[in-house]
Amino acid sequence: MKLGFSAAFLGATLLAGTASAADKRWDGADDLPVNPLACSAGEANAAPAAKPYDGGRPTNAADKAGKPITLVDVPKLIGIGYFNATSKGMQDAAKALGNVTVKTDGPTEAKIDEQIKFIDNYITSGVDGILFAANDPVAIAPVLKKALSKGIHVVGYDANSTPDAREWFVNQAEFNGIAKAMIDSMAKEAGEDKSFAIVTSTFTTPNQARWIAEMWAYAQKCHPKLKWLETVEAQEDNNLSFNQATTLINKHGDKLAGLFGMTSVATPASAEAVTKAKLCGKVAVVGLATPNAMKPYVNADCVKSVVLWNPVDLGYAATYVMRAVVDGTLKPGATSVEAGKLGKLNVVNGSEILLGSPFIFTKQNIKDFDF
Amino acid sequence: MTAETLAGAEADPRRRLRVLASQEALLAIAVIGLAIVVGLYNPRFLAARNLSDVLLGNAYIAVAAVGMSMVIISGNIDISVGALIGVLATISGTLAVNGAPIVVAWLAALVAGVVVMALQGVIIAYLRIPAIVVTLGMLSVLKGGLISVTGGKWITDLPDSFHLADIELFGALPFPVFLMILVTILAALWMRYSASGRAIYAVGGSAEAARLCGISHPRTIVMVFALHGLFAGAAALLYATQLRVIQSTVPPNLELTIITASVVGGVSILGGVGTVVGSTLAAVLIAEIASALVFIDVSPYWIRAVQGVLILVTVIADILRRRRMAGA
Repeated sequence: MKLGFSAAFLGATLLAGTASAADKRWDGADDLPVNPLACSAGEANAAPAAKPYDGGRPTNAADKAGKPITLVDVPKLIGIGYFNATSKGMQDAAKALGNVTVKTDGPTEAKIDEQIKFIDNYITSGVDGILFAANDPVAIAPVLKKALSKGIHVVGYDANSTPDAREWFVNQAEFNGIAKAMIDSMAKEAGEDKSFAIVTSTFTTPNQARWIAEMWAYAQKCHPKLKWLETVEAQEDNNLSFNQATTLINKHGDKLAGLFGMTSVATPASAEAVTKAKLCGKVAVVGLATPNAMKPYVNADCVKSVVLWNPVDLGYAATYVMRAVVDGTLKPGATSVEAGKLGKLNVVNGSEILLGSPFIFTKQNIKDFDF
Repeated sequence: MTAETLAGAEADPRRRLRVLASQEALLAIAVIGLAIVVGLYNPRFLAARNLSDVLLGNAYIAVAAVGMSMVIISGNIDISVGALIGVLATISGTLAVNGAPIVVAWLAALVAGVVVMALQGVIIAYLRIPAIVVTLGMLSVLKGGLISVTGGKWITDLPDSFHLADIELFGALPFPVFLMILVTILAALWMRYSASGRAIYAVGGSAEAARLCGISHPRTIVMVFALHGLFAGAAALLYATQLRVIQSTVPPNLELTIITASVVGGVSILGGVGTVVGSTLAAVLIAEIASALVFIDVSPYWIRAVQGVLILVTVIADILRRRRMAGA
């Protein structure tokens, strides 16, 4: 009895601790400054402090403005669905532009030393531009700088290098953009005044902590009645994620109307937990995940929104950015760039192009993706 | 001839049996006591659904711990089992998505488990290389091999019939829980009443005495590892069929959780002593604690600390017990 009493006391103290400070950030959020986006698309977003261009520049690049160019794309690895999709986007862009030839070539395993060899070979054989997704931001820098020094244009996408080793980087999603998509989806699916819990990797994982902080800030601003219950840690472990999500469902019962999966492991595991508990439609699952892992749940109508970005659009944008750099229409100091069917994309963080709002996979479109 | 007398300077076997029984009784009391305490704080914890989920989600650890207990009782250790479970799950899932008959996909995990573990048993027993070295090597081989072969690609689109863990017997009893109970009972009876089962205690308690009694030390060790591989295969099937995706990676710290279940279950890290009933109860207790921490709003990170305390307490108690006996 004594142990039961002290456990109850401990629990009550912890509960009181979280309830007393309404403006306290959710567990698993970091303490960095937050920058929530506007609630509706119509409103203007607070402009972040402008940062000067910090990318590199090629030495004596040939003037090929408006002329046909040959590009090579060296992703982290080839042969997987994700980079097949970025590659398809590049071919789409090349076709739309008419004066670009792009070829994807790279290692069959995500190994930085092999990726460096591929890039080095293409520098020797001669191309007008290199598109890359780095296996390691620092280790790839010297070979990219070598390309710049030979007058080859360099644009990154998906995974960045150090800024001075390339000219521009196409950034697939910013933290506050993902946060807005997640919270908006939850408010829509679970209900504006309902309660939810979060399954994350660990409280200190940088990306997840950043997303949770931005989600907290955006919810405070735009969906203040949405109620956070708790955050649990599940590392990047499938079965632990499943067990934790199941425990949350059993613990909160009817009160729980939604679960956020913060990792591509936690989201399908949470969906599985909801499916096994026969609560599809009663507990909404919203999260970051890749389409293949989520297809069973989306097709079974158990999950409505999977938040990520569209890799086809990412490859498409990278090709348009490269064309604009060669044509001289995207220069250091520019604030936006035209990217064909994607419209005008904004420059952020000095030398990055933001792809735009995250992409939401739904039952209608998820079959078109294979990664 | 009993294992107790072989195990060392124990004069009264009944006393040793009483001590062993108390370890399991202690665990059973802890399992029930914890449920009541947490249930008082949050009655939802005692809901049949939650208790069943706790068992269902962790049965694979108990099944693997049965094999691990045999290995430790035989005076060895295996730290490759977590990586092996990851590899076996991937093999089975890959066969299933590529259209192999489901039964073949299931059997492949069991067969491959036996083969890998028996091989390690042969190296340990006949080449006389310490188990910790052999299994550490195998851990690296399996872990590195898995990532190299799969590239970390997940297995998705698994056929529905593959999901062994979804089967419910008599409409209520989940198959993983049934398997956990069945395996524990069968292994416990076999280890207690059969000559080959008793041989495990004999070689772990005193290899020299076992040899004098005509028990083949190497053959017993290979048998133990082969059986351990079979249980690892069964655990891998439960692990792989619980979710709709297989991660194709090695589950983090899984071998430590399995070893913890054995040790907390009363299996002596020095060999010769312990039962699989104890290790299964300990696996249940550890799973129950993890769930309870969420129910009483304590970070699940504490589970590591709690596991650590349980290990230390059990090992210290075991060592003190042995010292007292040696001195008596």
